[in-house]
Amino acid sequence: MAGKENKINFKNQTCGCLIDDLLRGEYCREKDDGENILINPEAEKISHQFYLRHLTDGLPIIPPTKERVLKFLENSNRKGDDLIAALPPRMGKATVEKIAVNAVMAGCLPAFMPVVENSINGLSMEWFNLAGLNATTHPVAICTIVNGPTIKEIGLNSGVGCLGPGSLANATIGRAIRLCMLNIAGAVPGVGDHATHGSPAKYSYSFAEAEEETPWGPLNVERGFKCNTVTLMGVEGPHNVNDHRSTTAEDLLDTIAHTASTAGCNNSHVPGEILVVMSPEHSWALEKQGWTKNDVKDYLHQNMTVPVQLGDRGGRKLDSKWDINGKVRITRSSEDVVLVVAGGPGRHTMIAPGFGAGSQSVTVPF
Amino acid sequence: MSVKLVEREVLSPLGDKETKKQNLNPFPDDFETVALLDNTKPGADVILEILKDFLGKRKFLDVKKPAGAPATSEQLKKAAHSDLAILALGDCGSCTSWVVLDAIRLEYMGTPTISICSDDFIPFARELASSHGSNDLRMLEVQHPIAGLSHDEIEYKSLKIIPALRYLLQIP
Repeated sequence: MAGKENKINFKNQTCGCLIDDLLRGEYCREKDDGENILINPEAEKISHQFYLRHLTDGLPIIPPTKERVLKFLENSNRKGDDLIAALPPRMGKATVEKIAVNAVMAGCLPAFMPVVENSINGLSMEWFNLAGLNATTHPVAICTIVNGPTIKEIGLNSGVGCLGPGSLANATIGRAIRLCMLNIAGAVPGVGDHATHGSPAKYSYSFAEAEEETPWGPLNVERGFKCNTVTLMGVEGPHNVNDHRSTTAEDLLDTIAHTASTAGCNNSHVPGEILVVMSPEHSWALEKQGWTKNDVKDYLHQNMTVPVQLGDRGGRKLDSKWDINGKVRITRSSEDVVLVVAGGPGRHTMIAPGFGAGSQSVTVPF
Repeated sequence: MSVKLVEREVLSPLGDKETKKQNLNPFPDDFETVALLDNTKPGADVILEILKDFLGKRKFLDVKKPAGAPATSEQLKKAAHSDLAILALGDCGSCTSWVVLDAIRLEYMGTPTISICSDDFIPFARELASSHGSNDLRMLEVQHPIAGLSHDEIEYKSLKIIPALRYLLQIP
């Protein structure tokens, strides 16, 4: 008995397991009272588990621990359980916390949270038609254009390669929005997203306007704001317009108009918005010849046309009201030409046709 | 003192689903006016024409609506002036979405509906209807594809859904 009492007292005093105890198979019964050290879960393990549960875009993710998510919530003016919107087709509830979870997974920094949550807010506007965009067989992606002081604050790229890899903010903000579509809206390929081929632009499609380069004033000002804005557009992946030789504004704009005027885009049978991301050099060449932003938009509207017999082959029947002497303009008005300046040195412009009349861009101030 | 390493909990990225439930309008025992909503997808007009022939001497309201986008309020109001609305065609992602969602909007307005979708898109159509609380939204499925087929080929596929339409409407 005395031996047993000693044993108990001995363990009470040490509160741990000695090697001798372990070798005898006598484990310390008080180990549960020891200190828990919290560690981050193994990224590879969580990433693969999430992938197997169809919660990712196929790329590795950052495990969305509560601690990481809380840092993102601290960068929001809303509460975690505030509902931004229910997103179709799944009608999942996009609370601030759920948006933050997906932003963590995407690799965002907490400071990116205002852009991401305001983007989700914009996507829920009725005229954006997220129900149609998420489910369509068309390869439409969600493009995010950021304006305002936040561009510099969070390091968004508006210059060289702004539509390509290399910028944390550009890459992860667009990816966060896509993860929200997958996990909250249910736009999982083959389930809620029926894009026949999909698009690389569905991984991430976010950039900033080169506000200090544009000769015409940035998009947020054009749309009546002086503060930060995020503009959401449903558009195809970008297509290049290479024009190094034009010496007149008309020639340069004809190259852009010709590149944009394609029969297979949605705009050819249901005219709507088109995104034009003009390089600074192209914009300066036009401005040098006295062309205003409205002049450029109007010229493109007037000259981006396809023959009716080619345009009227899309999913939806071309309304005869768009038939102008056998041609159809791919935009309804000059307002449908969404013109921004971005990119680095070089005489290139990017164009991206929209979803047609079925979706209208949204600009959200914040 | 013992030390235990505990992995931090990870949070789910899935949004909770809304759980509202919408009751559908019963089909009338007899019906005089049928709204036919054509979203202008290729073949939608042929399918609706064949159903029109089957339904015989009734009054028909022909309504054109956008594919891949919502019907306007005017288009819905016109269609709602009927005893039954039939919508075609959901044979792609966005057009299926707005066949189903416009059918649900009409059900809210008190008009019973039948949505016609291709069999490739019926699972999505049912899932979408369920997400909006309309688990039992009435649908007929026509064999995919419809686009690119001749009139006769579409007619052949359309006639196959007549028995199901007859059953839904309890037409002897």
